[in-house]
Amino acid sequence: MPESSILAVRNLAKRYGGVTALQGMNLRVERGAIHAVVGENGAGKSTLMKALAGVVRPDSGTIEIDGEEVAIDSPGAARNLGIGIVYQELSLFPQRSVLANLFVNREPARFGLVSRQAMEERSRDLLDRLGLRVDVREPVGLLSIGEQQLVELCRVLLEEPRLLILDEPNSALNKGETERLFEVLRQLRARGITMLYVSHRLEEVFAISDAVTVTRNGRDVLTKDRSALTIPEVIEGMIGQRREALFPPRIEQRADRAPAEIVVKGLNGGKLRDISFTARSGEIVGLAGLEGSGVSNLLELLFGALKAPSGEVVYPDARGLPRNPTEAARRGVCLVPADRRRQGLMLEKSVLFNLGAVMVGARQSGPFYSVRGARERAMRQISRLFIKARSPDSLARELSGGNQQKVVIGKWLETAPRVFLLDDPTRGVDVGAKREVYDLIRQMSADGGIVLFCSTELPELVGLCDRILVIYQGRMVGELSGREIESGTVLHLINTGEAPRSAKSEHD
Amino acid sequence: MTEPRSSPSARPAKRVSGTRPYRLPNEIGVIAALIAMMVVIGVSRPRFLNPINLLSILGNTTFLGMLSIGMVFLLAIREIDLSVGWIFNFSAVFSALLMVADVDPWLAALAGVFFGAALGLVNGILAVTLRLPAIIVTLGTFSMFQGLSLVVNKGRAVVPPEQASGYFTFVSAKLFGVVPAPAVLFVALAILMHFVLHHTRFGYRVQAVGSNPEAAGLAGIPTALVRLQTLVLMGAICGLSGAMYVGFRGAIDPNEGSDFALVVIAAVIIGGTPLSGGSGTILGAVVGMLIIQVISSGLIFFGIEATWSTFVTGAVIVMAVSLDQLIKFQRARRADRIKGGG
Repeated sequence: MPESSILAVRNLAKRYGGVTALQGMNLRVERGAIHAVVGENGAGKSTLMKALAGVVRPDSGTIEIDGEEVAIDSPGAARNLGIGIVYQELSLFPQRSVLANLFVNREPARFGLVSRQAMEERSRDLLDRLGLRVDVREPVGLLSIGEQQLVELCRVLLEEPRLLILDEPNSALNKGETERLFEVLRQLRARGITMLYVSHRLEEVFAISDAVTVTRNGRDVLTKDRSALTIPEVIEGMIGQRREALFPPRIEQRADRAPAEIVVKGLNGGKLRDISFTARSGEIVGLAGLEGSGVSNLLELLFGALKAPSGEVVYPDARGLPRNPTEAARRGVCLVPADRRRQGLMLEKSVLFNLGAVMVGARQSGPFYSVRGARERAMRQISRLFIKARSPDSLARELSGGNQQKVVIGKWLETAPRVFLLDDPTRGVDVGAKREVYDLIRQMSADGGIVLFCSTELPELVGLCDRILVIYQGRMVGELSGREIESGTVLHLINTGEAPRSAKSEHD
Repeated sequence: MTEPRSSPSARPAKRVSGTRPYRLPNEIGVIAALIAMMVVIGVSRPRFLNPINLLSILGNTTFLGMLSIGMVFLLAIREIDLSVGWIFNFSAVFSALLMVADVDPWLAALAGVFFGAALGLVNGILAVTLRLPAIIVTLGTFSMFQGLSLVVNKGRAVVPPEQASGYFTFVSAKLFGVVPAPAVLFVALAILMHFVLHHTRFGYRVQAVGSNPEAAGLAGIPTALVRLQTLVLMGAICGLSGAMYVGFRGAIDPNEGSDFALVVIAAVIIGGTPLSGGSGTILGAVVGMLIIQVISSGLIFFGIEATWSTFVTGAVIVMAVSLDQLIKFQRARRADRIKGGG
């Protein structure tokens, strides 16, 4: 056995102060395999990867490479052992060229000068194989996120690792870019590189990996060949409790809420052309489309964050598009943006402060800011949404992704909005918190809200939405409801803009 | 992983408490530094601690100190106004000229405040419509205001006649015979502005926009309006300071205010307001300005040439920011150790 294992981790433990990150973590990776490590945030998978990359020193336990025990006490040591790591967050220099990024700190020199030619020669072959056809002298910042991810991968591959660790490499990628990344990973596997693939997107884990290790609370819970695993089994392993489904059942709209609707006719703006649809209270309308299809423009237009040159829109209050976000907030329209760290939160401010952003910032009248009122509001939302924070005065930065997202949602719920525009609200959120967000979305709808839900993850669109509008290259190419909401059809529409067989788009 | 600490089983946050545990204010460091400095000077030169001397330091702090109060709002909204010294000067010149033209001094002083606000409005409109940071805009208006002020005062000090009137006696009066009136107004303004920053929607919005402009905008906060309001507030405070200066000194020199901006920003930073925006401390700024004044007057007590005070002030800024950075670094390390990784 030890012959075929490139890596064996035994009983690894690591504590940070009072928090246990790893306890009795075991992992065995076969040579030439793509081995996925899944687990919720906090399950210990990132700490494990950092230990393998020499960034974190474990308190106890052993790591064996090729059957020999090794001490990986620095990133340099990891590199010497042939371990390369691609981190979740891009660590590129956006202003510098692709080449400069690829050879950071190990620029090849000719006659004591950095030689661009040598860099190009060394990287050309690899870039071709990765399918990255870009001008290598352009600043990295001009590339798409997917291309940047490939640059990062290329940089690590230039070190010629035997064991490549990918820590949530696709968290910022859309469907198409992810497919391309997977194609690259399969090529690498064919060349004998072993890969550790860390993720919490189960669909993708199942698409790419040969074996899967599920982690929970700093331990490995189960390891199996992918072919012997099912998604429910993995989910159960990750969250440690049996559950019927990831998606909460539909809740009927409360009878005392008046029906309301948004009618959109011929809306243009951003990348969008001639969008028409109707969204009613009590239903969840999904918006599907590739990144760049303009689907997130639609939410921005409806929120007044983007100007619409033309189009006719009628809101429940019988008025048209809000002219700006302030007006939207005052008219009960809310937007949960996709990038919560950049667009949704004031990271250096407290949970309490953030929960007041809409109420104090846009809704209330009168010149004063009541500290007591803010605290009451914070306590209300913290207990209602089960926000896990040490106190309302904890900084937003200190919360986990799921709890941060709940703060973003909570600041809007406080104002009792009637129109919910949700842009990928579960991005970077772990499975447990996802379920809670889904519950909230169901609740919004049941309370008489009009919910427009945009997502990059197909399963949640299918699992949650009553209708799905598909946008392709700025145009609405389909509207699916009832039994038509079936992954195959939606996926086909999203990627090609055409319905697979008979069902053509049916507009209202 | 960037998002540690979460396990699905432990749902409600039980430890959340409704009241905030009492903590020492963040300004305790600068206050301690100020007291330590005064004690050191006082022990070797006891005359320094004479209340009259201390009150005169407070009096001298007033005009710059007021500007530093306004600057706290600017740093809190992640902006910097470089033109404050010339708004101060131009407003002072404006109200002094009105007094020369026989306008009632009270009215002229009030006009000075509005004039300052109008200059702030110019800054604000430029910054908002051109979508430029205020530091860029005020780099230009710095010279524009200076230039216009020079055109108007013809390069000479403006001295209002008839300084026996009510306004002048009011501003140069001493409460209980010792406390200069400007010092009282300064403290009152500080308290008022502290309240504005922490207990009004305007103050909340300033901090929100300064913390993350994009998120603030998407939460429905009218960010452009808030920036405009902040710059107008800064202008009005400069106008107030300038108008009072005319009453207190009885004249406005054409160059008075030329070096204010950097001193004011320095005081705010020494006080602990971060350059990264999102929060600010009025108390810190006031104490920061006092530290600068104590240094320059302390040097005189030690018989060191006053020309050294600029250097020492600079050194204090460097020390203050290094100390601040050190504390932040320590906190971050402690937080890391507590948080752990995922």
